[in-house]
Amino acid sequence: MISDRQSRSFLDPQVLSRLAGIPLFARRPMQGTVSGRHASPHRGSSVEFAEYRKYVPGDDLRRLDWRAFGRSDRFYVKEFEADTNLRCCLVLDTSGSMGFGSTSPGSKGVTKIEYARRLAGTLGYLATQQGDAVGAACVAKGIVRTLPPRRNAAHLRLVLDLIEEAKPEGETQLVDALHELAETIRQRALIIIISDLFVDPSLLASCFQHLRFRRHDVSVFHLLDPQEISFDFRRPMRFVDMEGGPSIFAEPNDIIDRYTKAVQQYLVDLKKVVLDSAIDYQRISMDEDYEQALVRFLVGRAQSKGLR
Amino acid sequence: MSFLQPWLLVGLPLVALPIIIHLINQRRFQTVRWGAMMFLLAAHRMSRGYSRVRQWLILAARTLAIAGLIFAISRPLASGWLGLAAGGSADTTIILLDRSPSMQARSAEGGDSKLDTGRKQLAQTLQTVGSGRWILIESANRTPREIESPAALLDLPDAGPASSSADLPLMLQAAHDYIRNNRTGQTEVWLCSDLQENDWSADSGRWDTLRDAFLELPQGVRFQLLAYPQVSRTNTSVRVTNVRRVNTTDGAELLVSLHIARDANASDKITLPVQFEIEGARSSLNVEVTGPHFDLKDHRIPLERSRQRGWGRVSIPADANPADDDFFFVFDNPPPRRTIIVADDGEAERPLQLVASIAPTLDLKCTAEVLSVEALPTVTWEEIALVLWQAPLPTGKTADTLKSFVERGGQIVFLPPTNPTGDEAFGVKWKNWNTGDDPRPIESWRSDDDLLARTLGGAALPVGQLEVRQYCGLQGEVTKLATLRGGDPLVARVPTKRGGVYFLATTPAPRASSLATSGVVLYAFVQRALATGSAVLSKARQLDGGNPDGEIPTEWSRLTEAGDSISTELAHHRGAYKAEDRLLAVNRSVVEDNAKVLTNAQVAELFGDLDFTQVEDHAGNIDSLIQEIWRLFLITMLIALVLEAALCLPKVNRTPGATT
Repeated sequence: MISDRQSRSFLDPQVLSRLAGIPLFARRPMQGTVSGRHASPHRGSSVEFAEYRKYVPGDDLRRLDWRAFGRSDRFYVKEFEADTNLRCCLVLDTSGSMGFGSTSPGSKGVTKIEYARRLAGTLGYLATQQGDAVGAACVAKGIVRTLPPRRNAAHLRLVLDLIEEAKPEGETQLVDALHELAETIRQRALIIIISDLFVDPSLLASCFQHLRFRRHDVSVFHLLDPQEISFDFRRPMRFVDMEGGPSIFAEPNDIIDRYTKAVQQYLVDLKKVVLDSAIDYQRISMDEDYEQALVRFLVGRAQSKGLR
Repeated sequence: MSFLQPWLLVGLPLVALPIIIHLINQRRFQTVRWGAMMFLLAAHRMSRGYSRVRQWLILAARTLAIAGLIFAISRPLASGWLGLAAGGSADTTIILLDRSPSMQARSAEGGDSKLDTGRKQLAQTLQTVGSGRWILIESANRTPREIESPAALLDLPDAGPASSSADLPLMLQAAHDYIRNNRTGQTEVWLCSDLQENDWSADSGRWDTLRDAFLELPQGVRFQLLAYPQVSRTNTSVRVTNVRRVNTTDGAELLVSLHIARDANASDKITLPVQFEIEGARSSLNVEVTGPHFDLKDHRIPLERSRQRGWGRVSIPADANPADDDFFFVFDNPPPRRTIIVADDGEAERPLQLVASIAPTLDLKCTAEVLSVEALPTVTWEEIALVLWQAPLPTGKTADTLKSFVERGGQIVFLPPTNPTGDEAFGVKWKNWNTGDDPRPIESWRSDDDLLARTLGGAALPVGQLEVRQYCGLQGEVTKLATLRGGDPLVARVPTKRGGVYFLATTPAPRASSLATSGVVLYAFVQRALATGSAVLSKARQLDGGNPDGEIPTEWSRLTEAGDSISTELAHHRGAYKAEDRLLAVNRSVVEDNAKVLTNAQVAELFGDLDFTQVEDHAGNIDSLIQEIWRLFLITMLIALVLEAALCLPKVNRTPGATT
């Protein structure tokens, strides 16, 4: 593992060590195969009381609550919450637009794909460390590559390899890819989508709802470069579509108002979609340190742990 | 619109500079690989219309700014004088100024006269246009003279009103001579006139010569005509047609005849107060004028018996043209009308002596003396009004004496001698006698002018009733006043500067013609020649403005109140003057009362192929003909720059970041 950490440029050991203290919780019950730290939809043997249930023949007599029988002369079985592991699926958008990274001072010269690698790698490492199964999928024009979730360290290496080898190219068909993932991931999972989400919010709503319907816990890291928001250009520019579309020549001063208006409208629509879909949405500005973004994400999830 | 610096307009292609820079700028764009194309596409779709309009507006503003700057430095002029656009200011500008009395007419609203308005307009316009040299040729003297600047037109005394008519062809000839002699560069000729027919002599053959002469000038001449052709319909003019002093039982009287003229279409009846001033004593008379003309015959004004001579003035209330509201006259006892008859035919001599010695009025004294050629040196020629010469044409000293007599203003009528000799006088000589059995009828004669003109009452002389049985042919350059059938002249005149030389092709002898038997024609013919000849001898002379008729204006002294005219200009200003023992009255000529003006088509025809521009102004106009309007273009440029700056300013309310 140490050799892996040293060889992956997108993994910072210091960040990993600092974040190791914050567990990654699922916000919804998971159906793991082994015991873990995540809530399960089933009753189990943890120390956390869940409920009383009437005894039915066949129940283990050891779980009868004799004190309750003494008070009410009825047989009740005392049930406890089950703790299990989770299946974490890291969905990495590798479309062409993820290769963008402005050179403005705040952006630190980092492209979205590099930023996404850091997020995905760190989260994968943390999940594996706490015994969860980690898988990964690269999506662009469909699902480019995928690895099913596994919980062993050797599989983490494969996941990290996949993340490292991800290259931004091709056009975005994120909506179709997410629908496909929703269908192919059979068990409940924590699906972490790292993307710039440059698609119509109304289309995103359908795939988020699809994932939610499949009882997945969906988290989205929405990566936006500051320059994509401020549109800080002075001279006439020719904008070349990174996903192969037609180029556009524009005088920035002429269109900045309408550009800003379009961005605002997109963000408003996206926020509505996020709220309606009840997904864990993290908008990340590229000038923000990814560790801070992860801390906010992990802490937020820890605070909402127990929702079932 | 025209320009004072038109060559700067070659910079006009610079207006394309913003467009070229814009195109170059578009070529110098930066390329960036961009991910958020969905926002860019949305913004592009939204802003396509406005963006293009704004871009075009900016380009238009920049183009306008440069165009405004170029136009401003080209010094544009606001006027319709497109002719000015050809080449800016001239090397020499010649100003032809019509100072005739008709130019003193004012507009119906009053104010400045045509002449004053024209002078102001010329001063303003030419000062603006600029020129290397300014030459003034005014209608009175027609002598080119250099002036310091156009503004001098307002101050020069010889640019003010005059009573003499203008002769535009002569003025143009003077301009042509000046251009040719001084070899001027690019020359402009500015004419200021009211286009009155008599001033322009549109029928004169001199125009053809002038056109050709100007076209031959190598430097090219541009003509600008500032015309004031408006004719006032309310103007009334007065003219004294005759003044006579007669003795009465109580003393003496002055008989004044005058003619009052109004617009040709005037039909209303007006009461006009006419004021008479005799040597400062004034009297007035109200006359009722109906129609366009009114004649007052022999209005009697009492005089002291001792006053034998003097001056006077007739005036009417001031109207549109003050130049024709008064008329000066002088009076004196008429000089005796003396005639010398030289004849070799006794039958012809007697009738001539009779018609020359019978005075038309009682107060006139006419004498006719028959002399031989040898007795002529003893004659006091200064007292002779007419010479009737029915003898071989004079030669030698006699011919020289007669030439001097004619140049002084005397009149000579030559009649054919009994035996023509072939000698020549005044370029004419007699041919042989023509004799026929039947009288040769008169084919035509001039009844509008000269000795055979109609009477004052309008009746034609019975020239056609004459019977001419014998006549002598003429050889030489003459103007025919009457012709016989077949074209031979009966009465002819030799053109002379002064005086009159007539040839009558027959004699009053009964065998030759009926001139003696039906003596009306002969009497009128001789008495008119006599009256003309004696007028030169009179001590009281009526002169047309600008025509001193042998008098020397510098020796004149003014009898009326002092005007602002200089001594050399006296002949051009109406008034009463005294020259030695003679009294002189100077007034406008008869033709000045003709209100007809040339049409624009006629003027254009006169100038033909010459570079000619005409603009019509009106008396009293205070607006300058041309104005420099570079400020307007400068303001346009500034507005365009401000507009461009406003369109180029980045939006102040732009949102630095979109956060929701």
